[in-house]
Amino acid sequence: MAAVVIGGLLGPAIVVALAVLLPATLAGVLLRLMRTALLFALPLAGSAFVVNLFFFPEGRTVLFAIGPVTATAEGLSFALEILVRILAIGGAITLFYLTTPPATFVVDLERRGISPRLAFVANASVQTVPALVERAGQITAAQRARGLDTEGSAWKRIRGVLPIVAPVILGSIAEVEERTMALEARGFTRPGRRSLLWAPADSGRQRAARWLLLLAVIGLVVARLTGWWA
Amino acid sequence: MTLSLRGVGYRYAGAERPALLDVDLDLGDGEVVGIAGASEAGKTTLCLVVAGIAPRTVGGRIRGTISLDGERIDAWPIHRLGERIGIGFQNPASQLSQVAGTVFEEVAFGPMNLGIAREEIVERSWTALEALRIDALAERDPVRLSGGQQQLVAIAGLLAMRPAHLVLDEPTAQLDPAGTRLVADAIGRLAADGASILVAEQKTDLLATITSRMVVLESGRIALAGRSAEVLADPRLAELGVAEPSAVRLRRLATAAGLDPAPLEEAVGA
Amino acid sequence: MPDLDVRGLAHVYREGGVRALDGVDLWIAAGERVGIVGQNGSGKTTLVRHLNGLLRPTEGRVTIDGTDASGLMVAELASRVGLVFQDPDRQIFASSVRAEVEFGPRNLGQRGTGLADSVRRALEATGLAGEERSNPYDLGYSRRKLLALASVLAMRTPVLVLDEPTTGQDARGVDRVRRIVAALADEGRTVITISHDMRFVAETCERVIVMRGGRVVLDGTPAEAFAREAWETLRSTYLEPPLAARVGQRLGLGSTPTDAQLIEAMRGGRVHR
Repeated sequence: MAAVVIGGLLGPAIVVALAVLLPATLAGVLLRLMRTALLFALPLAGSAFVVNLFFFPEGRTVLFAIGPVTATAEGLSFALEILVRILAIGGAITLFYLTTPPATFVVDLERRGISPRLAFVANASVQTVPALVERAGQITAAQRARGLDTEGSAWKRIRGVLPIVAPVILGSIAEVEERTMALEARGFTRPGRRSLLWAPADSGRQRAARWLLLLAVIGLVVARLTGWWA
Repeated sequence: MTLSLRGVGYRYAGAERPALLDVDLDLGDGEVVGIAGASEAGKTTLCLVVAGIAPRTVGGRIRGTISLDGERIDAWPIHRLGERIGIGFQNPASQLSQVAGTVFEEVAFGPMNLGIAREEIVERSWTALEALRIDALAERDPVRLSGGQQQLVAIAGLLAMRPAHLVLDEPTAQLDPAGTRLVADAIGRLAADGASILVAEQKTDLLATITSRMVVLESGRIALAGRSAEVLADPRLAELGVAEPSAVRLRRLATAAGLDPAPLEEAVGA
Repeated sequence: MPDLDVRGLAHVYREGGVRALDGVDLWIAAGERVGIVGQNGSGKTTLVRHLNGLLRPTEGRVTIDGTDASGLMVAELASRVGLVFQDPDRQIFASSVRAEVEFGPRNLGQRGTGLADSVRRALEATGLAGEERSNPYDLGYSRRKLLALASVLAMRTPVLVLDEPTTGQDARGVDRVRRIVAALADEGRTVITISHDMRFVAETCERVIVMRGGRVVLDGTPAEAFAREAWETLRSTYLEPPLAARVGQRLGLGSTPTDAQLIEAMRGGRVHR
């Protein structure tokens, strides 16, 4: 959030370093973070970068030209800013996903008063992704075994979408139905309070880190708005 | 507590024909009753109806009466039924809540929903884990277990609700031989300890070992019913789409070949 | 008809670095009926996926009829080796039985009357003739499994691999699969069946391969694989020989893996009380 608000390049870069890369290193997930975040952010970041580099409306100082398009210094500057912001957001989301076990997240939400069903849905949405990926992989293998060409021309690959997407969706729906029945039969929809087995550990350090981050963001936003840091 | 079905019929929402028709069934304390039948004969539907999921969760129309010790339970909400009747499904993975980081939490999920005291939740969970001999798995991540182990965790989760009856719909269908053995042994032990279990299976060899009584369904109706040994020796099994247990088949072939089946029986029983 | 030659095959999955296959040597002649048994995780599925190129060897080589499989794309290998997966619902996508069965042969270039013929024969073999226009999901699980089988049968491949064709299948379905395997063998096609059902394997296969920990630990006829000497190996991987084999052993009749062989041996009057 702070990265988006702060103007220029240096500010967001510092934010990324502090709020994303530092905790990632501490949690030992730096490499995984970079790989996953890059994977997700790359298409968006890449296209945003290219568009701004070559087509920035206020671009004046020419850096180089490729055929009909020209890259400008202003464009480059803006492109870099956008890139850092995207990486900040992508990085933050990935950091969360990598370091918070879903169960912990759900239990903590419940403890703070969120309805268990809501917490469950929040968790399930994250959990579904790896299951979907695995299912899609199996289905692709089965269709390839029937001659579906996934290594050939782009047109052939497009034609291959339905034989993969249809069973993925149908199968996921069927699994959701079964899971719903199983959960209901175990009392998930019972009105009234649920007991909780435990509360996730919330160390002093975690709490301090949260407060620090919050203050930092507020501080940065205020600084920006009052023009102290242009 | 005896669970009784009388004249029970059921039709899925939007279906042309009923999936169950005129079913009478009793499940008493400490009994293990089997359900066999060809694919689509109504085994799963019967399980869903007994557990109350049909019509509550899946919709559809039901006829006839279902009672627990004489008291009709047609109007009971699903979460109340869950404390009396637990139901397990074929697919081990889809029974996991996915919000539990450990097997212990997975098993505790049901009791937690009931809002009971923490000490009791813990006690029930351990009891359930021990009953299935999986207490050593308590700290493991349920998602990483084998299919057979996941089924045991699912059944433990049901047991922790302290149901009077268990309904298991083809619990070994998707398991390899090791997993099937795990689950079959567990069911056998539960039965020996006095649990009431209704189990649907294609594997008639398995049913022969663990059930005392069974029914065979055909197009939603009960075609055969009685003591397992008799039902599984009935010549109509083949036309009902049910496989003969290996021992029964051997006995039949031996007799057909004019041989004395006695030494065969001895060797099978050994 | 091609033969299959597997030499020193090893496979390590990138995810997790698991060595799922640890040096497998196999030669399968054209027209053989082979059964592969073993627990989940023993490498059965990993092995067969090398036969149509879905997986590529980490070490070793797979040769089909003298040609190295690594030089061919999966779509090409699919014309020689048909693979039916265990879960029909992870394959069925069309809204009609006919369209589903046509998919495979169409990809392989079949058209017109040839295509219609393949489809018709596949549907007849699996008992689905007359269901051409039905929606696959209006069929029960047992018949959907047969549909998945039909869709690969229609591809008319010289080699067919069936992954757990009888799991979750009712008695009629198992019977159909048995008859299909026999018919394929009559046509000289190679049939490789992965199965947990020892009795089915003993009755339909002429060769049994037992896998454990990514290796072949037993390879022989059913009589050899289910003979007393092999039981320890079988049990080390939690498998039990079929009842006929156990009974035959107790009656002192030698190795009688199938019901028919047991009865035959009993008839021979060699029963000891």
